[in-house]
Amino acid sequence: MKKNKLKKAMAFGLAALMAFGISGCGGGDAKDAASGQDITVISREEGSGTRDAFVEITGVLSGDTDRTVDSAEISNSTSVVTQSVAGNEAAIGYISMGSMSEQVKAVKVNGVAASVDSVKSGDYELQRPFNIVTKGKLAELPQDFVNFIMSADGQAIIEEEGYIAINGEAEGYQAKGLSGSITLAGSTSVAPVMEVLADQYKKQNPDVAIEIQQTGSGAGIQSTIEGVCDIGMASRALADDEVEKGLDTQEIALDGIAVIVNKTNDVEDLAMEEIMQIFTGEITNWADVQ
Amino acid sequence: MRNHSENAMKAVFLAAACVSIIAVILICVFLFASGIPAILEIGPFDFLLGRSWKPGQGLYGIFPMIIGSIYVTAGAIIIGVPIGLFCAVFLARYCPKGLYRIAKPAINLLAGIPSIVYGFFGLMVVVPLVQNYAGGSGKSLLTASVLLGIMILPTIINVSESNIRAVPEHYYEGSLALGATKERSIFRAVLPAAKMGILAGVILGIGRAIGETMAVVMVCGNQAILPEHITSGVRTLTANIVLEMGYASGLHRDALIATAVVLFVFILLINLSFTALKRRGA
Repeated sequence: MKKNKLKKAMAFGLAALMAFGISGCGGGDAKDAASGQDITVISREEGSGTRDAFVEITGVLSGDTDRTVDSAEISNSTSVVTQSVAGNEAAIGYISMGSMSEQVKAVKVNGVAASVDSVKSGDYELQRPFNIVTKGKLAELPQDFVNFIMSADGQAIIEEEGYIAINGEAEGYQAKGLSGSITLAGSTSVAPVMEVLADQYKKQNPDVAIEIQQTGSGAGIQSTIEGVCDIGMASRALADDEVEKGLDTQEIALDGIAVIVNKTNDVEDLAMEEIMQIFTGEITNWADVQ
Repeated sequence: MRNHSENAMKAVFLAAACVSIIAVILICVFLFASGIPAILEIGPFDFLLGRSWKPGQGLYGIFPMIIGSIYVTAGAIIIGVPIGLFCAVFLARYCPKGLYRIAKPAINLLAGIPSIVYGFFGLMVVVPLVQNYAGGSGKSLLTASVLLGIMILPTIINVSESNIRAVPEHYYEGSLALGATKERSIFRAVLPAAKMGILAGVILGIGRAIGETMAVVMVCGNQAILPEHITSGVRTLTANIVLEMGYASGLHRDALIATAVVLFVFILLINLSFTALKRRGA
């Protein structure tokens, strides 16, 4: 008898738990858009290449001071930013255009939608170069890989991945049958496209091993200075003190930075000024936008 | 001949023991050698009690992170300890054998789940729940506490259960014989006898909660400010280190190592109180 009661109680508890879980997951879609809610600002960590480029272009950076509002949530990866915005109606964040997903909505900036064409023509202002950084003259093998990236084949891969190629009139790539290994380190934004480039390069040069370390732009540049890696990846322009250490940079692609909001949000278009005000905390409510 | 092989094996055991001790010493030396100069350069008061963390402007105050770590850990204890303790009582005294065979491995499995998986679960399930039912953006002190509360359950349950089982059976039987009910006997006779062991479990749980990184960083919002509300975002010491380590250089990097020194001191205190408790218990 007693055992039966216990079993019943447990079954009930389990059912209640499941119902709670389901209602929790389903919630949120019934409500109206974000209008009138306080804005949840989502930014990246200090030192992130995406953040550096974003605050510089939008004017959140004034002089040397990054004025990002203290109450901004900080995420240390693109996927967490996307996930957070997808799950929060009142959120706004920014990610690399190449990592754009269906879960969130990109707003127009100054009336221009983020697209390959608008970045290429320069109409979409929130854009930055993807750079590779080298120190001194490259050895034959790393140089060959750089040639591959800048060739028509490499640039085509970059376009396929959703970024904007920089070298329109490049020639095709011819494998030279080299062997050895190449180490790249740096930006987590550049790394995904670099992985694809490396895979394709290895198909044509089976004896080459390529190691890609995702350490962030700053650390990648540092590694290049120290000679720990052959090629550094940076998703921002080099700082003056970095240039002084004898580094060469080469742009390999352009990337737009998409400003993303929740899909239920009615906002379609934000002026650059408004984006700056949202991220510095001057505008705190969606009702004050538009 | 036998002597030789015995001596050789002794040397192997000694070497194995030395490796772990050397590792601890090396970590200590590394932490303090890089961290202490940074603390001195920033100024111990500015570092420990400073309210602003803005490496770009040379402001390195980790007070919000210290408070953040304490709040989140306290929240985890408030949520995890009652559940864990009652679960341990249930397992030790009420659980039917058939259920025990399922429940016990399930709890052990809970302990084996990687923290990044907890983090993902927190981001996809707990964050929306908190957002809907408690308000705010969902990434908050409360969310981190709930998630950590779940994560420390296995530690608390396992230690508490074995300590409850270790209480001599005649405490329980004596209490029953005096006319107390089963519940009264457990809560008034058995639990007080297991008090020290249970407390030790709680302290182990605190150690796990304060050191947890990957799960917390995904759900706590990471604002480096003092939380005003239970649904405000918060940044813990561990989150501070993992967020910025990849990019930091110079004093910024040393300040992060100094953050690790503070965390290390916390863990040291927790371990010392654990040892002290165990000695008193014995």
